[in-house]
Amino acid sequence: MTSGAPDVATDDLLLDGRIRLEDLVDREGLDELCNSFVALFGIRVRIYSSDGGLLADAGGEQELCLYLNGLTDGRKACASTVGAVRARDPGDAGDVVHPCFTGATYRILSLEYDRRRVGRLIVGPFVPASVTDAPTSLLKIDAAVEKGRAQELLDKMPRAKPQTVTRIAEHLKAALDLILFSGHKAFVTSKVHVASVRESYRQLEEKTARLQEAFDRLKELDHLKSNFLATVSHELRTPLTSIIGYSEMLAEGLAGEMKPEQLEFVKTIQDKGAQLLSLITGLLDLGKLESGTMRMVRRTLALGPVLDEVVSTLAPTARKKGVKLDLDAGVDIANLRGDPERLRQVFLNLVENALKFTPGGGVVTLCARMAGVDEGAGGDEDGLALLAPTRARIEVRVIDTGIGIPARERTKVFDAFYQVDSTSTRQYGGTGLGLSIVKRLVESHGGTIGIEDNEPKGTVFVVSLPQSTPSSAPGAA
Amino acid sequence: MQINFGGREIALKLVYYGPALSGKTTNLKSLYELTSEASHGRLMTLETKDDRTLFFDMLPLVLRAESARPSGGMTLRIKVFTVPGQVLHSSTRRLVLQGADGVAFIADSQKSETEHNAASFLDMRQNLQELGLNPKQLPMVIQFNKRDMDRVRSDEEIGVLASRGREPVFKASAVQGKGVLETFFGLLYVTWAKLDGEHNLAQMLGIESDALLPLAARQLGLEAEVSTLLSACVGGALDRSLKVRA
Repeated sequence: MTSGAPDVATDDLLLDGRIRLEDLVDREGLDELCNSFVALFGIRVRIYSSDGGLLADAGGEQELCLYLNGLTDGRKACASTVGAVRARDPGDAGDVVHPCFTGATYRILSLEYDRRRVGRLIVGPFVPASVTDAPTSLLKIDAAVEKGRAQELLDKMPRAKPQTVTRIAEHLKAALDLILFSGHKAFVTSKVHVASVRESYRQLEEKTARLQEAFDRLKELDHLKSNFLATVSHELRTPLTSIIGYSEMLAEGLAGEMKPEQLEFVKTIQDKGAQLLSLITGLLDLGKLESGTMRMVRRTLALGPVLDEVVSTLAPTARKKGVKLDLDAGVDIANLRGDPERLRQVFLNLVENALKFTPGGGVVTLCARMAGVDEGAGGDEDGLALLAPTRARIEVRVIDTGIGIPARERTKVFDAFYQVDSTSTRQYGGTGLGLSIVKRLVESHGGTIGIEDNEPKGTVFVVSLPQSTPSSAPGAA
Repeated sequence: MQINFGGREIALKLVYYGPALSGKTTNLKSLYELTSEASHGRLMTLETKDDRTLFFDMLPLVLRAESARPSGGMTLRIKVFTVPGQVLHSSTRRLVLQGADGVAFIADSQKSETEHNAASFLDMRQNLQELGLNPKQLPMVIQFNKRDMDRVRSDEEIGVLASRGREPVFKASAVQGKGVLETFFGLLYVTWAKLDGEHNLAQMLGIESDALLPLAARQLGLEAEVSTLLSACVGGALDRSLKVRA
């Protein structure tokens, strides 16, 4: 059997599946069925399983039998007859008559299902229509038998012609067959149902295991990639520092005066070195952010000075490009908890981006405001009226009048190395790392970042940061 | 197949496989109608309210050797199953297919069903492989059912297809009871040929190898000759090795 094969052995169930009367038929129901036959025909009915267990008995003892059982020899004879009847095999024909010394008889019939014997049906005792007088075998069975009494009780026993009993038995057998078939059908169906469900479950489990395996492998690969990125970036930075350092020294004339052309070349080396360094630093940051090893120095801080510094740093760039750079920070900006250096990096990057994509004559605005609680979050939380004020958020918008970002690109721009314009002849430079680092930095501060339109033209980056919570209730998450 | 020496029984499992609504259950119902009361048990079907098989159908057939030593031979029980055709019951199909001794693949003759036939066959092949059975070694016949419908593949086309294939092919209109016995006997023939060859079943039953099919025909109460039934086969390997005692 292959590993993909079902672990459910339905062969036994579907092919051989020995049917046992006692498994399929409800005992109480069977009793009721037999009782209804007794009510109709007045003859005692017993049903035995194939291994001789009594499954149903309806009709009770006849008065004659009770009478005989009260006598010593009578009881012995009764017991022997009943034992013989119980043990009697219905033979190949499946139908035998067993006589009783009282003149009554028993019919023993085979119960079959699917052409296999599943049990026996015993009908009787009843008195054949031909027997009228108490036979000698009854009168002589015990010295204490009174003839008159015996005759009287014999007359009280049910009487039936053999053909009638045959019809009764056939009817009972047909009813039983139907019950067996229905029971068998329900039994097999439920077994197959359960087996099917188990089989489906097994398949799903297999699939899940395979997916989990693939997922684990990918996660490991991703981790390796991050490690590799971090290592490589670090290793690249060391020699680069020397390149930049020595070219700086050259430019400063520490190794002697240089001709203007030489100086220009060295300055280019320095510039490109610095560019490379920022790229490598970006990669290193990304690697650290992805592997969760970025060190953050968190403290409670005011955002205003951070934004001020960003604007003053980039003011020369804006002026050179002819772009107006404004800062609009509200007076009520709450403090937040975070790493000022990293937050500065976030806004520096966003404003730098905005300036890059805004043509001369445009405007870039850095705007900070307090925003309410997220409407979606904790809508039915208890005590929100008390808790909400502590969960206000600070929204910082970087608004430009640049080329804008198409709606379908807005989630992708945060992916590492993604460029909206990825053609080799693109107009704007950059590594495509900046926004992915920004997003991870914002998220590591418990914030979110999104993009909105600036009508009629341009982009708005919205950074939403939680204000520092003075204290949370003990035990609260 | 199961051999139960204690119970003096050999049990065979024949499975009717095929796409949804190709007439597998109808084949079984016809088989039930066409065979004698004494030879079969009740047809167990489990259908949903739209007449589609939910789990399977089962028709038990019982054959007894008519040998001189009545107590010596064993009984051959043949259980014929159908699988649910709908795609979603994949696991039930595999369960029913498990341990199959022979398969009748019931295809729909309508041209529009060509792809469903092929898809179901590939599904069966995959299920057999997953069960560790080699589809090439499993006795199999193919039935092109629904010959009574319009827009079906022509007899000529089926003839050409059959001559190219390995499996014996039968044409049928199961609703009219046509081709049903032919398919069944074709399947019994190929299954018996393989199992008897491997396990000497004839000896256990106390019969000659080539006496089983005529015995089956008699006990199922059929008037047709076995050779007539088998001659309905077009193509495949059946007619090349045909050897049936009249």
